[in-house]
Amino acid sequence: MREVPFILAAFVTPAFFVAGILLAAIPIVIHILNRRRYKTVNWAAMEFLLRAMRKNRRRLKFEQWILLATRCLLLFLVATALARPMGCKDSTLAAIAGQRSGLHVIVIDNSYSMAYEAGRPNAATHLDRAKALAKELIATFSAGGESVSIVVASRPASAVLAAPTYDIAAARDAVDRVQQSFGATDLLGALRLAQEIAQKEKNLGEKRLYVISDGTRSAWETAEADAVKQLAPQLAQTFRMTHFNLGRRDQWNQAVLGVRPSGNLVTNKLSNDLIAHVQSFGSGPDPLLQWKLDDATLPGGGQVHFTAEPKDLAQSAAVFKSGGAHIVTATLNGEDRLRLDNTRHRVLDVVSDLKLLIVEGERGMTRMNGSGAFLELALAPPQEGPSESGATRSNSYVAPELISDLELGNKVLGDYRAVVLAGVGQISPTQADQLALFVKNGGALMIFMGEPVAAENYNQVLLPRGLMPGALTKRVTAGSGNNGFNFDFKPHAGVHPLLAEFANIARSGLDTAQIYTYWQMELKPDAKVERVLDYLAGANGTTTAPANTAQNKDPAITLHQLGLGRIIVVTTTADPNPEWTTFPAKPNYVTLMHELLSGSVSTADRWMNVSAGERLVVPTGIKFTGTPTLTDASQREIVLEPLPQGGVAAYRSPPLVRPGIYRLSTGAATVPIAVNIPPEEADVRTLDDAAIKKSLGDAPVELQGDVLPIAVSGVATAGNDFGWPFMLLGAMLVAAECFMAMRFGHYRRT
Amino acid sequence: MSSAPQTTDYRKYLDPRTLARIGGLDLRARLIVEGLMTGMHRSPYQGASVEFAQHRPYVFGDDIRHVDWKVLGKTDRVYLKQYIEETNLHLICVVDASESMGYGTIQSGGATWTKYDHATAIAASMSYMAIQQQDSVGLAVFDNQLKKYLKPSNSPAQWKTITHELTIVPRTAKTGTGHVLDQLAEKLTHRSLIVVLSDFFDDLDGIKKGMRHLRYKKHEMMVFQVLDPMEIEFPFEDVTLFKGLEGLGELLTEPRALREGYLEQLNQFTDEMKKMCRGMHVDFQRMNSSDPLDVALSNFLATRSASIK
Repeated sequence: MREVPFILAAFVTPAFFVAGILLAAIPIVIHILNRRRYKTVNWAAMEFLLRAMRKNRRRLKFEQWILLATRCLLLFLVATALARPMGCKDSTLAAIAGQRSGLHVIVIDNSYSMAYEAGRPNAATHLDRAKALAKELIATFSAGGESVSIVVASRPASAVLAAPTYDIAAARDAVDRVQQSFGATDLLGALRLAQEIAQKEKNLGEKRLYVISDGTRSAWETAEADAVKQLAPQLAQTFRMTHFNLGRRDQWNQAVLGVRPSGNLVTNKLSNDLIAHVQSFGSGPDPLLQWKLDDATLPGGGQVHFTAEPKDLAQSAAVFKSGGAHIVTATLNGEDRLRLDNTRHRVLDVVSDLKLLIVEGERGMTRMNGSGAFLELALAPPQEGPSESGATRSNSYVAPELISDLELGNKVLGDYRAVVLAGVGQISPTQADQLALFVKNGGALMIFMGEPVAAENYNQVLLPRGLMPGALTKRVTAGSGNNGFNFDFKPHAGVHPLLAEFANIARSGLDTAQIYTYWQMELKPDAKVERVLDYLAGANGTTTAPANTAQNKDPAITLHQLGLGRIIVVTTTADPNPEWTTFPAKPNYVTLMHELLSGSVSTADRWMNVSAGERLVVPTGIKFTGTPTLTDASQREIVLEPLPQGGVAAYRSPPLVRPGIYRLSTGAATVPIAVNIPPEEADVRTLDDAAIKKSLGDAPVELQGDVLPIAVSGVATAGNDFGWPFMLLGAMLVAAECFMAMRFGHYRRT
Repeated sequence: MSSAPQTTDYRKYLDPRTLARIGGLDLRARLIVEGLMTGMHRSPYQGASVEFAQHRPYVFGDDIRHVDWKVLGKTDRVYLKQYIEETNLHLICVVDASESMGYGTIQSGGATWTKYDHATAIAASMSYMAIQQQDSVGLAVFDNQLKKYLKPSNSPAQWKTITHELTIVPRTAKTGTGHVLDQLAEKLTHRSLIVVLSDFFDDLDGIKKGMRHLRYKKHEMMVFQVLDPMEIEFPFEDVTLFKGLEGLGELLTEPRALREGYLEQLNQFTDEMKKMCRGMHVDFQRMNSSDPLDVALSNFLATRSASIK
């Protein structure tokens, strides 16, 4: 970057100063030109003229020069005033005569935690005090000389006044327009905005940054804390920073941080436990917990005795009579000063018929001889006796459909929640693409091995698309006469969440199941793959695993994520096969398959639950019969923005500001949307000054409380702008010039 | 004889802007005089002669000394007795014909009315009036020396000669008023009324010396300082190069800044002239060449009237 000469750096707009130097020469040039341009007169009374000249020569010369100098100085001063020279820092002259110049960026944290009612006079909440403080600050600024930008720090951070204004009244109005947000804090975004504003206004003299926040952990101890720590020292090179901490040391809050089902899948066919995750930040009286399901109060709940740790409170009385979206609400009735986070809604997509597509790669003479039939039977066992229509009926929440691999191309995968490839030999690239899209959009895929499986095809087609966690390297078979391989399952040691049902249960079958053949799979080192279950290494000396270590065990069941969906790979067959495994014959096979399915199927309600400040993103899988409309709790319509086709989302809303239950009309149906306070905003415990300074990367920052100190009100003796005094002097010179020009100057009367 | 329209009409012949359009000096002078006389209530043609000329009815303002009481007694009508006058005055018109007198700024019909034009118009008019009243008229034209001198004569041809001389004199030299007045004092043998017409842009001490010499010789004097309006007002604004006439050099200046000083110098000179004239019982009149001529001529008539009593 080119160095700016020191003299020019002392001006807000140095170009005017340079222009002033040039302009000052204009009167001299005009004077010289006028001396050359004269008229000639023959004059009789020359003697008197000469006498007058002799007598007044000195006076005339003095007048001429002073007039010329005044004109030059006048132009120079006007240009210099426009260049807005800045006085030296903290100079007495600057304090007396100079008008201050500079840029003030005020970051106001208006996140939800700022709604804390601190009980100050004339300021109900922290935000009220923050706005009052901001206006007090602005009142100390010099109108016309100092510019102000206002940035709010609720997610996503935005500038209320992006272009710095010199209009103090407008700045105060902008502060008045700052509204309480119900979203999380985006301190990093706000600081970045301040940096962008400063970069655009390089010439605005001294720059000051004021961050007004409640100093809570929710604001400073976020996932972006490291980025803030890195950014703050950079900001300190541009700004003089001041932090006003409005938080009270004794402030406390109780909140419901989350409501979730105990399992991954909620059905109306099975009992479901609901869990409320609650916490008290700071100490307060014990509140009462109340549960509701679709506005009907549920039994349970009661008084909550908080400790320092969060609590999970279960609700087992919820009975979902039908499938579809249901709203579960947990409310803490307490006396804390942040009430909105005491209630949390959760929209649950209750499954009544989970459509499952089982693709068989191997078919036999009878239905049960197929490679997926046993799995179908396990997941949806028929009721006792045939139905009236003769079709087999099941009481299961799973509605499987069994097809051969030849039919896979004819199916619309979006109609299913999960797809199972049971011993499918080869997958065409087109089918693989469809499967990959299906999973990325939230579908679940389960892959079982089998006799027809062509490892080369899997490695070439499925692996590059992320559908396999690793390459199939070798088919491992226990020798004839040998015992098969066992799963490495220790019920009392740590078990994978998908196997939680088997925890602490001895002889669950998992530990005794025999596997005779499986495909060895080499997991990609960088792949984020969860090993659900491994084979016990060295059980009969035939395993290829050299040692019984976790890294070298062959995976039996893996789980990995692709887009929004999950993929489970089982390296042996899904059907009982003496050459492969006897595990399907075990009673717990059914349980395991249900757990794998429910654990891999994405909850379809994820998009229905958003935090305040976030957008609602409607996935493409939702079927619309008309233009979708979204209304908030007060029945106000919110416009949805259609998104380009081919993506995972069909519509997007603007950020949803207020918490509550929204309604999305899809034409034929209405879907509830729960908008909740971000749970992290509930933590109102404050940080001390040292911690805030550390959060700012130990950058130089003035740490203030919730009042404007005298030192700050005197801000600003530094970097004073002498533009107006120069302009005033210029105006005085104009008057003087006019007088002198009238008195003895050269001017034309017309 | 006197009527309002005529009174208004004669004025135009006294206005320099009108005179500038009139070619010959003799015609100018005749028009001036006839016009002026027509507008006067008081007859200028009264004299101290004993030869009766005629009676005329009395008009308000006439001197009652000339009322014919016998006629009044017989007829109850007031008549005045008028006599044919005799020559009893020598008028010498002394006209400055230096280069500075050629300065003039009054424009009319493409002609420029200079100070010299103004001075000669006055001189010719006075001469005409004097000759009409049988007075003797002489002429002296000068710059730095006496260029032309005509002895006083009351011959009607004298006026033609005077106007002719006034017309042909070149104006190129500097002024030497004092020296010329000295010369004139030596030349004049009869007691005369000397009318000096000049801008007097000259050495004041020299002028004083010359005038004192004339007064010593018992001559009556009338002094007319003829100035151009530009010289009196000095209204210049723009940067101007003043080229001095009579070899007084050049000056490039902003006239606006110098105006006050210049007028101060001019008025100071005029005041000194006035003071000097008053001390010598000489009538002094500063004339603006843009002003009508009646002031000068009326003064002349009053002075003449007083001098022949």
